[in-house]
Amino acid sequence: MVTPAGIRGPQPNPNAATTPDLLTLHHTGQLVRHYPAVRGLLADLSGEQLTRAGRLLARLDPDEILTSHPDTPTLTVAVVGHGTLGGLVAPLTAQLARHGILARVRLGDFDSYVPDLADPASALYAARPDLVLCVLDPEVIWDEVPVPWRPADVEQVWAEKLALLESLVRQFEGAGHGTLVLNTIPLPRLYPAQLIDHASRARLAALWREANARLLRLGEHHPALVVLDVDPLLGEGLPVRDSRMSVYAKAHLSAGLLDAYATEIGPLACALIGRIRKVLALDLDGTLWGGILGDDGAEGIDVGPGFRRFQQVLRQLGAQGVLLAAVSKNDVEPVRGVLTDHPDMVLRESDLVRVIANWHPKHENLRHLAADLNLGVDSIVFVDDSPYERGLVRHEEPHVAVVALDEEPARHVEALLADGWFDVRLLTDEDAERPARYRAEAERRDFLHSFDSLEGYLRELGVQVLLEPAAQAQIPRIAQITLRTNQFNLTGERLQPAAVAALAQDPNALVLGIRAADRFGDNGLSGAVLAHRADGAIHIDNFLLSCRVFARGIEQACLSAVLRHARDTGADAVLARYRETPKNGKVRDFYPRSGFVPVDAPAAAGLVFRHDLAEIPAVPAHVRLTAQFAGDTAPVPADTARVRAGEEKA
Amino acid sequence: MNSVDDLVTIVRDEIGLPITPADAGLPLAELIGWDSVHLLALCVILERETAQTISLPAVLEAETLQAIYEVAVGAGIH
Repeated sequence: MVTPAGIRGPQPNPNAATTPDLLTLHHTGQLVRHYPAVRGLLADLSGEQLTRAGRLLARLDPDEILTSHPDTPTLTVAVVGHGTLGGLVAPLTAQLARHGILARVRLGDFDSYVPDLADPASALYAARPDLVLCVLDPEVIWDEVPVPWRPADVEQVWAEKLALLESLVRQFEGAGHGTLVLNTIPLPRLYPAQLIDHASRARLAALWREANARLLRLGEHHPALVVLDVDPLLGEGLPVRDSRMSVYAKAHLSAGLLDAYATEIGPLACALIGRIRKVLALDLDGTLWGGILGDDGAEGIDVGPGFRRFQQVLRQLGAQGVLLAAVSKNDVEPVRGVLTDHPDMVLRESDLVRVIANWHPKHENLRHLAADLNLGVDSIVFVDDSPYERGLVRHEEPHVAVVALDEEPARHVEALLADGWFDVRLLTDEDAERPARYRAEAERRDFLHSFDSLEGYLRELGVQVLLEPAAQAQIPRIAQITLRTNQFNLTGERLQPAAVAALAQDPNALVLGIRAADRFGDNGLSGAVLAHRADGAIHIDNFLLSCRVFARGIEQACLSAVLRHARDTGADAVLARYRETPKNGKVRDFYPRSGFVPVDAPAAAGLVFRHDLAEIPAVPAHVRLTAQFAGDTAPVPADTARVRAGEEKA
Repeated sequence: MNSVDDLVTIVRDEIGLPITPADAGLPLAELIGWDSVHLLALCVILERETAQTISLPAVLEAETLQAIYEVAVGAGIH
């Protein structure tokens, strides 16, 4: 019979037992009231259990949840395709909820993807979805292949479909909002098996793969498009289809494949709304090596093939900008000894941005780690083999993502990669440099402690700033800054690369990148000012600065430059907007402190400020600023050239 | 599954619809929150619960929960 155990949430700590399970909340009509607890209740579920939970959650009215919990991040997701796709709604709802995102799922009509995407006046576009999942199944092709058929018939249908899909992608981009997801189309065995000669089967297999490869390459030319490759999902042993569901209900993809598809969409949704995980905090004993360092000593721990493979994957993530940190209950000296000298270790201290080894509770260490890196705890993914430590962290810091490892190190890699915790749309040059920049930040801090005053420190820091229009190659990085930056983000608005590219083309818009460097090195492209000219004024639409570099005068210098540019080019004022988000409270006074005055009462769109350009605040004395705007041809000073050269090298 | 009430419990707990045993004879379209998509999920759940293969076309043609129940429990003699 039906047992509620499958959707009972984890209760790792006796104190957490006061949270009722999901089914109880559903029965008692309290799911909306307790919606913030749902994420924790889903944390350890997968597969069928998660889909069960998703069916209950999909019944909730998103507006009711938002009325009770207005800060819940929300994403409108449209699902369209060729076959019956209702089976995707529950896993999709559950996966987004697992990542803390409330999904408004809009399911398109059966086989309506062509009119939905081709017609700018369609109900799909009217709903302004943030994410459109156009789910392609094998019958997209096979429904149009004649019987009997030869591989050449399939090739012709594919060619027509690829042309159609590309035109739909163009239509979608023309509509100017959101991200479109297509997927590669799997080839179930029942089709090649209908060909009795191996030569024809090979030809079918080759043309099918070539067509999927062309589909994948569409993403290279269309910034609003993501093409998801389903082959790696099927490689894990999932069936492509369920014959009865396909024949009788036109549901052409298996429930398992739809679950796996939804799992891939969760991290993409996080990336779209700027909820990006940045730090991977690693336990050591049982996680990076086997045994207990404190008991077994450096020579007694096991750094066998399973652990080494895991460490290789950690280095691979670190090389792409994930900040790796050790958080361990150990004395620090033996830990440093292993990281430096153990002959079998792959991961070294230089791969880690911080090594925290002490006897404090781990949730406290994670809080300190976040504060030290100037990031929120919600940017941390914590990995540990100990159920006790995981339970404690989950209970004390529910915004930390917790990954469970077991006693078999050969499974560590799969456990870590099961969710794309660190997935981003595009990697930029900055990403590879990030860990080194965070390590340099620790050196900066030590340097700061050697000064009596902040002014003395800043003077010796030698801050150089270059403010100039973003070049084409920097557009992905500017988009990434809007997506990753939470604290120094005056409006919280996120822009996808396609939106930044459109702004950069607009002659009335200013898309300015902020680059900074100091005696400890190059901070790279670290911020942006987005503005436009209208009605004789410059309007600052957003002002962003990486948390690594603010409070060093860089923001005041750039704002001063924008004000001066406005005055020099005949503007009569600069208008700027601040919209409060859960994380940007510390910049609430940024504009008023620089001579702006409020012009409107607070509204949903935020506070609007105006600067009359009569008295422009000076660039802080310790900052060497070079500001260039479109059309300026002033020579770039030697210092600035160095900043730029470092940037290009990075 | 011993009675249609068990099927009603499944629909309440797994699909999430707020129905009672009194609704078992209603046309499916009149159940609060019903969607034809739920029928597919229900088929999978019923096969799991009864550990038997159920005729999908027969479930898709059923017009009430009572009729679905009869298809499901009759599966053994199909």
